[in-house]
Amino acid sequence: MGKLDDLKNTLLVQAFKHSPWLAERWARSHQFVEGKGIPWTPLRKPLRESCVAMVTTAGVHLKSQPPFNMEDPDGDATFRAFPTQVEKGDLTITHKYYDHSAADRDINVVLPVDRLQELKDKGIIGEIAPTLYSFMGHIDGPHLETLMEETAPEVADRLVREGAEAVFLTPT
Amino acid sequence: MGLIQRTIEAKGIPTVGITLQKEVTEQVKPARALYLRYPFGHPLGEAFHVNQQRTILLEALKGLETIRNPGTILEPGYAWRRHRFD
Repeated sequence: MGKLDDLKNTLLVQAFKHSPWLAERWARSHQFVEGKGIPWTPLRKPLRESCVAMVTTAGVHLKSQPPFNMEDPDGDATFRAFPTQVEKGDLTITHKYYDHSAADRDINVVLPVDRLQELKDKGIIGEIAPTLYSFMGHIDGPHLETLMEETAPEVADRLVREGAEAVFLTPT
Repeated sequence: MGLIQRTIEAKGIPTVGITLQKEVTEQVKPARALYLRYPFGHPLGEAFHVNQQRTILLEALKGLETIRNPGTILEPGYAWRRHRFD
């Protein structure tokens, strides 16, 4: 992506951050993948007995993992997996389509690892799933198919295998 | 995010997600959502605002127990930087 595009993107990110109505207008003018029917699985037991997992599309990953691809205007449909008991200092965010300055200071703004641990300590949830999964939310064009056919099902299968009984998701 | 959420729900795990874009969520139709009119990059609110982050997380998780209709979008209406989280 050229420098002019980068500048345009930076300006848009700030405009969207400070004017939620702009984002709403943008959403109205875009066609998103329309869901047909609504998949539904009821909670099988109370939260206090359930194992809760988290998935984010905020572009979080370990500093030691490869960053998400910011060069492709259609985004990056891959995901990063890392342990829930992660050192927060080991995390970083690669995502230029939103202002993550607050999340850079406190990851709980996009991925509430400390808050979830507190809920477990208080017995409000039963367990925390062992792995966190992270995508970057800006996915379009051919990568949508990769997401829907490959990477999202793979993460869902992993969550099932790891015993997740409820999943909390956060956007950018 | 809603597409990933739908995929997980379809594999048999109940899900709830935060959304900052209600109109997108109405189109994508995940099973359960909690909408906040917050800026992008702030689904749990502000940095180091522990009560705010905890309240939002808890409200969303409670939706797993309380929501009965697929596609429900909860709207607690916490005004950005004005709502007091005690």
